[in-house]
Amino acid sequence: MISKSGTLRRIVFIILIVIILLYTLFPLYWLFLASLKSRIDLFTIPPKFFFKPTFEHFKKLFIYTTLETGEEQQTRFLFWLTNSVITAGTGTLLAVALGTMAGYINSRMNYRGKGDFMFFVLSTRMLPPVAIIVPLYIVFARFRLADTRLGMILLYTLIGLGLATWIMKGFFDGIPTEVEEAAFVNGYTRFQAFVKILVPMVKGGIAATAGFCFIFAWNEFTFASIIATRYAMTLPPRITALMGTSGFEWGIAAASGYILIIPILVLFILIRKYILMGMTFGVLGRK
Amino acid sequence: MTNLEYIKYARKEKLIKYFFLWPALIILLFLIAYPFIMLIYYSFFNFSFLRPVNTKFIGFKNYVNILTDTYTWERFIFTFKYVALAVSIQFILGILIAHLLQSEFRGREAVFTIVLMPMMLCPVVVGLFWKYMFNTEWGIMNYFVHNVLGFNQVEWLGTERNSLWATIIADTWMWTPFMILLSSAAFSSIPKYLYEAASVDRASNFFKFTNITLPLSAPILILALIFRLMDAMKQFDLVYTLTGGGPGDATQTVSFTLYKTAFQYFYTGEGSAWAFILLIIIIGLSSILIKILNYLSERNR
Amino acid sequence: MKKAKWLFFALAFMLAVSFAFASGEKEGAEKTKKEVTLTVVWHGGVCADMLLEIAKDWTAISGVKVEGALVGYGPAWHDKIASEFAARGSGFDLACWDSQSIGEFAGGGHCVLLNPYIEKSDKLKMTDWSKEMLARYGEYPDASGDIYALPINADAEGMHYRKDLFEDPMEKEGFKREYGYELNIPQTWSELRDIAEWFTRPPDLYGLGMMGGREYDYLTSVTNCLVWVFGGELWNPETNEIKGYIDSPASIDGLKFYIELMKYCPPGVETWGWDEVNTAFQTGKVAMAHNWFYFFGAMDDPEQNPYSDVTGYAILPGEVGRDGMFRREFSMGGQGIGISKYSKHVQEAWEFIEWYEMFEQQKRYGAVCQTGRQGVLDSEEWLANNDYNKLFRVAFNYTNDYWHLPEYAILLDILQEESHNAVTGKKTPEKAMADCAERQEQVLIKAGYEIKRTPKVDMPDTICPNPCGKPEIIPIVVE
Repeated sequence: MISKSGTLRRIVFIILIVIILLYTLFPLYWLFLASLKSRIDLFTIPPKFFFKPTFEHFKKLFIYTTLETGEEQQTRFLFWLTNSVITAGTGTLLAVALGTMAGYINSRMNYRGKGDFMFFVLSTRMLPPVAIIVPLYIVFARFRLADTRLGMILLYTLIGLGLATWIMKGFFDGIPTEVEEAAFVNGYTRFQAFVKILVPMVKGGIAATAGFCFIFAWNEFTFASIIATRYAMTLPPRITALMGTSGFEWGIAAASGYILIIPILVLFILIRKYILMGMTFGVLGRK
Repeated sequence: MTNLEYIKYARKEKLIKYFFLWPALIILLFLIAYPFIMLIYYSFFNFSFLRPVNTKFIGFKNYVNILTDTYTWERFIFTFKYVALAVSIQFILGILIAHLLQSEFRGREAVFTIVLMPMMLCPVVVGLFWKYMFNTEWGIMNYFVHNVLGFNQVEWLGTERNSLWATIIADTWMWTPFMILLSSAAFSSIPKYLYEAASVDRASNFFKFTNITLPLSAPILILALIFRLMDAMKQFDLVYTLTGGGPGDATQTVSFTLYKTAFQYFYTGEGSAWAFILLIIIIGLSSILIKILNYLSERNR
Repeated sequence: MKKAKWLFFALAFMLAVSFAFASGEKEGAEKTKKEVTLTVVWHGGVCADMLLEIAKDWTAISGVKVEGALVGYGPAWHDKIASEFAARGSGFDLACWDSQSIGEFAGGGHCVLLNPYIEKSDKLKMTDWSKEMLARYGEYPDASGDIYALPINADAEGMHYRKDLFEDPMEKEGFKREYGYELNIPQTWSELRDIAEWFTRPPDLYGLGMMGGREYDYLTSVTNCLVWVFGGELWNPETNEIKGYIDSPASIDGLKFYIELMKYCPPGVETWGWDEVNTAFQTGKVAMAHNWFYFFGAMDDPEQNPYSDVTGYAILPGEVGRDGMFRREFSMGGQGIGISKYSKHVQEAWEFIEWYEMFEQQKRYGAVCQTGRQGVLDSEEWLANNDYNKLFRVAFNYTNDYWHLPEYAILLDILQEESHNAVTGKKTPEKAMADCAERQEQVLIKAGYEIKRTPKVDMPDTICPNPCGKPEIIPIVVE
């Protein structure tokens, strides 16, 4: 690394990283600034980089000031937040758990109609939600699942299942069967081998899958706005229902965008090492 | 194993198979298949959920109307253009960035998390926000183009070509992290000793990348491509909030048209037919990719 | 050990599912008690907040709780109501929808006919609202007298301008020299055009801000005004004809005028909704703005509008058409509130509405938004509230509206698309409107309407609010 081409390489590398960071970060930064700008500051020409920040947008998310008397009350933000956490969290857990199991089976065993099953699982992700929402809603209503948390959890599990099954199958496919056979020789049952040996080997895949499933469920808008009305209402549809007297509240939307992103960010900070971790005995390529 | 032990083993295998598979299958059947069958059923009628009078069985007329309408083909062409451009850019960018992030450097984990952030935002917020940024007068994009670089103000969302690219830019910003994440997970799973062996043979980085990294992670990468393609074809939230299908009908993707038909117009029958046609196309595309995927998986074994 | 693992997984699974299931039981709990909760669907905003605040008093009186299920403004709001109706669900009891959607919802048989309730009521009378109001917000079909919704928020288009620019002596002098008449609130669109041209000094100031976006009804709520004042019409409700109406020479005049006006607006106006118009005015970019009365409250508020103390309000101008007649017409807006037929608490819902539409409640509401109740609109107090309420009262006489048909949403979308094509130059106005008429008639035919052909005229404007079709320009002066 002391050679000249090594330093040059390093510089190019750093420049690339910086460009990527700028490209990703600038809109995020701009969005963050927007959440702190007063309405007037939001629309100045030319756009302002320096201004006096205000926390009123964040405040409005949690506190509602009555129009007639001016007293302050709590909004139902926490309630919606709780719903989001429960529905997206449980949905993700179930999707990842079921998907990992299903992915494993499909990777290792053959059965009649396997190709069809896998294809069917994938096809659940092919249809735009808008197409299916009214019939789905009718089915939900018939089974008393409309506007319930259980209904939303089932829905989110469903959305995540397709992704989870396929990705996990992909990762399991990369592990040669010798691994299990070695385990069997040592007296493990298949289930034990699965849990004790294989699952740890695909931690990266599980982490990535959990990340995706959670993001999709947490940010899900279409189904939540139609199927949930009161009891199961999550955050995303509420965010867009923000309208002040002048029109759409960009400041509040930006603020809520950031509040929404926090749980996902936390999740990713927790799981990132599983994704990035290089395995000493790698998975995708053992002969 | 003795015969008896083998039978017990086989039975256990079967048990495991069913126990593991059936929960997934049941949920799917119940929640997707049933409404989907309803959908197909309605596509043969001129039915509207909202205006249920005059419901007649019209056979394939919905399909014929859609397929013979010139608007339909304009929409499909636009959608393919958009998906092809957006997904290819995301695919290449995603893989390259993931590769860059493979090398150990200080702050790598932080950079990784930051790079993934666009994907974590709610699509509706992203669409609205890019709309704000693309505004001709007070948008930050035109600030850079016009005030900083000195070009004319671009009407980002006002002309056909511009709005296509505006949508692609917003979509790429948001979804490249998807590719980055999956690619990273895949790259991380390649055993280090393979790279070390290649280094011993004095292989260049380029060689390592094209002969070790890419081939071994190809199955996962293709899988990511499949998912990204499917999601892009279904893409609705972003177009809806960013352009509303405009200007005119320039950025109306097929998915958007489906929304309009099924929700704004509430032509349930016709909307169902649209959904089915869209589904067939996505199935077609995915099937091709899945075949490639299977081929690559087998080869790697 | 292995058994324990199994148990653990099974247990965790059960726990997750039962927890979710338990929280799903909330719905059942409410029904067993005597306490009833009504759900109202509306788009989020100040007016909805006000409704819910006032509703708290009703809870104190009757014990019935009123909760809001507020959605974002735009298609999501209409979609939510439509989906619930489509599924025949009881997710909400009351819904507020745009006046134009009455055809869709009442026509589909999804809301409760209110006439018997009003007749039996001792708190409300049909005459509490002007005939216009009731007809616009709740009547379906047109002129049948069947009311399915009561006005909950009345709205119309208006304009506001920069008094400091209009009253500045230098400006007045320069304008008079250039155009030959006094700079004043325009009474005709041609005058407005002149004023807009005068004040267009890019890049800092432009003459006019107006809506032009493709989404929802942004563009057409403006182009319709122009189509109407030039003598055009959208359709003929008696014969169901569209060809010869929206594509008549008079209508095209209106559309072309819009395209000309765009020259005096900031660039990008073809993507603007009311939000952008408000912003443009609040940042001092435009001398005049064409927008809904709904937003005048924000214009009056110094925290939102730095120019609030120099903002003047006015009623939109009229125009002299090809036939030499003067017409003044513009779009109406606002919502009506109706009761869902599938609600489990129709009687309670009615009682709430009955109480809410009474004078006292509407007076409170009128402090923040526009009410439809005639008594409040006429009251001294309300009129003195601010500068523009008295204008609103008069303005409502000049309103015209879209088609009140169940197919409204489809016809609107087609008109929006083709008008937008004309305005962005993708098609010529003539071709765009011809295509529009063709497509719209197809929609009507598909829905089973019969179209009776009548001879075409240049100026089809037959439904014209008073005063109309007079050969001289009638200015509006409001004290």
